[in-house]
Amino acid sequence: MTRVLVPPLAASTADARLSGVFLAAIRSEWTKLRTVRSTMWALIITVLSTVGFGVLLTAVAVSQWDHRSLAEIRGFDPLLYSYAGLNVAQLCIGVLGVLVMTSEYATGVIRLTFGATPQRRLLLGAKVLTFSAVVAVVSLVSCVTVFFICQAILAAKHAGVSITDPGVLRAVLGGAVHMVLIGVIAVGVGAIVRHTAGAVAVLFGVLLIIPGLVQLLPAPWNNDITLYLPNSAGAAMSAVVRFPNLLSPLGGLLVLAAYAVATLAIASFVLVRRDA
Amino acid sequence: MIEARNLSKRYGETLAVDDLSFSVEAGQVTGFLGPNGSGKSTTMRMIVALDVPTSGAVTVGGRTYGSLRFPLHEVGALLDANAAHPGRKARNHLNWLADSNKIPRSRVDEVLGIVGLTEAAHRRAGELSLGMFQRLGIAAALLGDPSVLILDEPINGLDPEGILWVRHLLRSLADEGRTVLVSSHLMSEMALTADHLIVIGRGRLLGSGQVADFIERSGGHHVKVVTPDVEALSVLLRDKGATIVADGPQELSVQGLESRDVGILAAGEGLTLYELSTQHASLEDAFMALTHEHAEYRGTARLAEASSK
Repeated sequence: MTRVLVPPLAASTADARLSGVFLAAIRSEWTKLRTVRSTMWALIITVLSTVGFGVLLTAVAVSQWDHRSLAEIRGFDPLLYSYAGLNVAQLCIGVLGVLVMTSEYATGVIRLTFGATPQRRLLLGAKVLTFSAVVAVVSLVSCVTVFFICQAILAAKHAGVSITDPGVLRAVLGGAVHMVLIGVIAVGVGAIVRHTAGAVAVLFGVLLIIPGLVQLLPAPWNNDITLYLPNSAGAAMSAVVRFPNLLSPLGGLLVLAAYAVATLAIASFVLVRRDA
Repeated sequence: MIEARNLSKRYGETLAVDDLSFSVEAGQVTGFLGPNGSGKSTTMRMIVALDVPTSGAVTVGGRTYGSLRFPLHEVGALLDANAAHPGRKARNHLNWLADSNKIPRSRVDEVLGIVGLTEAAHRRAGELSLGMFQRLGIAAALLGDPSVLILDEPINGLDPEGILWVRHLLRSLADEGRTVLVSSHLMSEMALTADHLIVIGRGRLLGSGQVADFIERSGGHHVKVVTPDVEALSVLLRDKGATIVADGPQELSVQGLESRDVGILAAGEGLTLYELSTQHASLEDAFMALTHEHAEYRGTARLAEASSK
């Protein structure tokens, strides 16, 4: 009879601290994220759409520059076109964030995950933190890149701004924070809904469909409500000029963060109560 | 050691596990036996805190699984052999598990070697054969070198060589003093693999005990004799107190005497024997006897009979 010997490991770590469990979970989630190809592809598309659409729309705006009225030029937000690509990028990040949870439910890996880390709230925290960090790095790189390329294009019409101008650095960072918070909301929605298609439908519904429906409401409700939708709240963070249809940058941050916190609160509530 | 106390689990109207109490001891292979849908998997999920019991409790080594930190060092489980992201390489699948419980990466290579997947470590899980997938699941269960192993139908989809390998692995794990709980709906497999049995049906405990006792209780064994001198031998054996049933023109089924005694008696009278062997009742018989009252299984049996006609 063949004997299969399992060599003993080091002493038990059953009474480890929760902070140790959290750090290990973060490391584990990082390993998970970088060992599937979909992560890399979604992030590449995120960068390409942020930079690509920003540059394209800015270039188009510059080519039409001489047809603009003086009022239009005065109200021009030098970052508006630069960050047009964030509308597409947020969908990539949204899908990837949803998949952080739903791909585990679809493949049954969630049972291994919960088996390895039975502290489910802590695990959700580790997933959110790890994914947010990845989104933060990728968004920051793409937001900064598209900023400098677009401002160089706008400089031809002396319409560009410098990163040191008032509110500009805040707007560049705001674009990245916008993406991070969308990512957090997506992970939360994935945890609540558990099925990829359903979670993506919910997320896209909130980001794409609801804004259109709200516009159909009679004034002033349509504009009043639109102010507080995730899209508008996020856009407020990356605006340099103050638009009447947007909240203040800080207001936008608080509203979007409130959505993220609420989603995570529901997610952690159901995650602990439901059987896996 | 695993201890379940009055464990129950209700899903809506159905009671999947019904007031189940049992204990699984270290140093032996405990078979968790029951037909499909009898509550084995639900019970195993409750042991590792994936499902919350409706009432009752289950502990591993005296603690609930949910209270463990880095539980893979204590308990290794194979609950769903298909649980792996198809796009992730086999080694990476074990790497993230190792990371989550602070298990050194060197241990990943070790378990890959133990289950014979060293060559396939760089392949994506989706490209592995069913048997390799199963081995990957077992590797995951062994990763933390746990003292308790819980395996749900580990031989499903394995070829004969794989089945033999799992059988030897379970045996050696138990011989090292570990607690091994392995579920199956195949009684014949449990007869070969397990030392101890916990039998459930419809979520209820039907019986538990050593495998040998189970078989003994179901009618024990008899001696099969094939001889041309049926009548002479029958008279001889009946005189010694044996019960004899004719199984054919030249075949007798003898109860109450060992095959050795039958041989000596026949030789003493110069009777010819073509065949002499001890026949053990199968665990299937024991299992069927145990679950006989359950209408659900009788219904399925009748259906099977009808379709085979």
